[in-house]
Amino acid sequence: MRAIVRASAPILVIALAACGTDPAPGPTEQIVVREPGEATVPNVEAEDSLITIGKAAFNTCIACHGIEKGGANKIGPNLYGIIGQVAGAAEGFSYSEALASSGITWTKEELDSYIANPAAKVPGTTMMAGAITDAERREAIIAYLDSVSAN
Amino acid sequence: MGKWTRRAFIGAGVAAGGALVVGIAVRPGNPIDRLSPLVAKGEGEKLINAWVKIDADNIVTAIVPHVEMGQGIFTSLAQMLADELDADWSKVRILEAPADAKYSSSHIGREFLAPNLEVPEILEPTVSGSFLSLATAMTLQITGGSFSIRGTGQRAMRTAGAAAREMLIAAAAKEWNVPASELRAENSMILHDKSSKSATFASFATAAAEQSLPAKPKLKSPKDYKLMGKAIARTDIPEKSNGSAIFGIDADLPGMKYAAVKAAPVVGATVEAMDATSAKTMPGVLQILNMGDFVAVVADGYWQAEQALATIQTTYSKTEGDGLDQEALFTRYATMLDEAGDTDGDVETEEGDVGEAFASAATKVEAEYKVPFLAHATMEPMNCTAWVRDGKCDVWSGTQSPLMARKTAAETTGIAIDNVAYHNAYLGGGFGRRSEMDVIIMSTRIAMATQYPVKMIWSREEDTMQDHYRPSATSRFEGGLDKDGKAVSWSNIHTHLFDPQEAPTVPYYNIANHKIRKVDVPTHLRFGPWRSVDHSQHGYFIESFVDEMAHAAGKDGYAFRRELLAGSPRHLKVLDTAAKMSGWDNPLPEGHGRGIAFVPSFGTIVAEVAEVDMTGKKPKVTKVYVAADPGFAVNPDGFAAQMESSVAYGLTAALYGEISVKDGAVQQSNFHDYPILRINEMPDVVVEIINGDHKRLGGAGEPGLPPLAPAVTNAIFAATGNRVRELPLSKMNFA
Repeated sequence: MRAIVRASAPILVIALAACGTDPAPGPTEQIVVREPGEATVPNVEAEDSLITIGKAAFNTCIACHGIEKGGANKIGPNLYGIIGQVAGAAEGFSYSEALASSGITWTKEELDSYIANPAAKVPGTTMMAGAITDAERREAIIAYLDSVSAN
Repeated sequence: MGKWTRRAFIGAGVAAGGALVVGIAVRPGNPIDRLSPLVAKGEGEKLINAWVKIDADNIVTAIVPHVEMGQGIFTSLAQMLADELDADWSKVRILEAPADAKYSSSHIGREFLAPNLEVPEILEPTVSGSFLSLATAMTLQITGGSFSIRGTGQRAMRTAGAAAREMLIAAAAKEWNVPASELRAENSMILHDKSSKSATFASFATAAAEQSLPAKPKLKSPKDYKLMGKAIARTDIPEKSNGSAIFGIDADLPGMKYAAVKAAPVVGATVEAMDATSAKTMPGVLQILNMGDFVAVVADGYWQAEQALATIQTTYSKTEGDGLDQEALFTRYATMLDEAGDTDGDVETEEGDVGEAFASAATKVEAEYKVPFLAHATMEPMNCTAWVRDGKCDVWSGTQSPLMARKTAAETTGIAIDNVAYHNAYLGGGFGRRSEMDVIIMSTRIAMATQYPVKMIWSREEDTMQDHYRPSATSRFEGGLDKDGKAVSWSNIHTHLFDPQEAPTVPYYNIANHKIRKVDVPTHLRFGPWRSVDHSQHGYFIESFVDEMAHAAGKDGYAFRRELLAGSPRHLKVLDTAAKMSGWDNPLPEGHGRGIAFVPSFGTIVAEVAEVDMTGKKPKVTKVYVAADPGFAVNPDGFAAQMESSVAYGLTAALYGEISVKDGAVQQSNFHDYPILRINEMPDVVVEIINGDHKRLGGAGEPGLPPLAPAVTNAIFAATGNRVRELPLSKMNFA
């Protein structure tokens, strides 16, 4: 999954080193060849199922979340069986007070609105990633989570 | 909740789901007012951290404020807690504490002084070293200085486990209406033998939190240990065997890009000009950054970033380091030592009158030793992932000091620390390298420029050329022997002193007159703590010179050291054990030799005997016998593994380790010119542990290293008559 290299002309930014000590100096020269764009989702074939797409998309989540049954919590809680659970249920994980006391039950709809923008849905959550803007991608991830838990 | 010490005491609370949590609590009015998310609100008292949690399903979670870099500390610390708690080991889980000041070393030292432990030890620089002294540890949550077990384990984990156990028993006594003295804990159960009643810890978790606490949780004596002292398998073995373990370099985020970096070859220089004409056209490239002190390329993939970086032409500013070569550096050391003469320089320790004793000595011995700079060469390349956006900053890495990493990210970005999250993962080797914050600073600076998440990975070349090095150093000795060959004077002057302060001293050797001095010599390369820090060079210097004195006295190296240690039975036992293990008096074949060395460091006493085969083209170390007294080995298998790994790391340095400077820049760049010991070069290592004093625990990660090099070089002398006065051995011509 490689983003397309665009033929746009590089933008040259010259910034002066910041005065004082705080924060650290930025670049003395910043050449922006292109912006990352949005083309980071795999270009999935039409016949691929939602779950297959979701499994691939979930690769970006596994730095923080395990999915196997009985698996350890990592930076984020293990997500096995998440669909239908009450928020804050993973054993041994230190949830933010905000999430633990949110009273949310993770229906697919609740999960969808949460991963669309975690900080907006549950202000004070420690989940820093997420904010998946692509609705189809969210649907796929949730389908994958559901499929794993069902097994 | 019961009051415990003046300002802080054991506290407990109930977390979501009825879990009991035990940690340090503070009374109302204490300036520490931020709550742990785990805390139960009650009586205005606040739990500021948690060391143990007991859940409704009877799972015990040990919360460990140290990082796992291969040393097995998660398991050993959990063992200490679980033993005092009488927990069922199969139901114990381990969680790394978050990067939070509430888990910093200063809390352990300042706020959590268990009255029944030897409190002053933590304040002794001779024990913990200035590297970890309270002055610097105030804001650190550091794993280093071979400190975790003797510090955190002894002072926090055991006490928390014992306190939780006593609270559970008190709760059970109340519920069953029996005296607490009739109850005992075993395998995560509370048992009442008289009535054959039993129940899980979990069933009393909520009630336990309400119990008032004893003034001092009673710690077990060694005869009652069930887990401490047992070679329990490390809990991280399965995931590190099947590849599922997550290291810092495994961080992965949506939309994450990669950065390759190249810093000015001469430390202190800045990038004056950068020509990125080719790099701009290369595939995957997103941004090219001149950060002043380094150049970075951000691309879709790491390889693309690295390839583009290689095409960038740079010119650098002039620095004072330009033109400096390694020989000139050693000449500078020699000049400084010459200028100090017999009296100048900073006196570190002095006793008696070395001048007089040396002048009147029957035999005089003099020698000078040199060691090179050393790099750390961790297996996992240096890396850090950062994401700075919307007034928030997240950082992912593997560091020896998570709290410092978080503070560093906050200072670098100018973002308030509450909006900075630091996520630590396993470290693929630390050895002191990952106590430095350079990668945190660099990656957050890159991420500030991009505003999207970027993983910065150093190439092996950057790792080798931009390390914070164990310093190169020179050390000179004068020793005097009386007519009976007894050591009467010991005089040493050396360059550099970083840490531990006692590294150059020999208080355990009974020599009436001694004087130890240092001169500070500036070098432009950055200093970094390298496994065993100053002991790494002073172990070699001291134990080489002791051997030279023994030879001058016409005595065997082992017998000579026995005389010097005559008044210290605990030291002597370690020395004797190593000699006995090696069959010291058994003859070896022609061209083979045996050498002994003895270095107490980081609270652990270690003697090593090396056997060397000198019949080939280069030295082959065939056997290393290690006798070590750490007071009490909490996990003997883990302790022995640390001794073995110290042999491998120390032998790498003794045989090959050399970073040298040419025209101000480091000459070595990768494993072809900075080799690591190969498996066929690894000697057989035999470790024997002596549990000499269960109240005074020593470290494990570092103390096995300092005796290795001198044991090997003393063995080479025994085999060949060649005295090795400069490392590494690869510089010597043995033909």
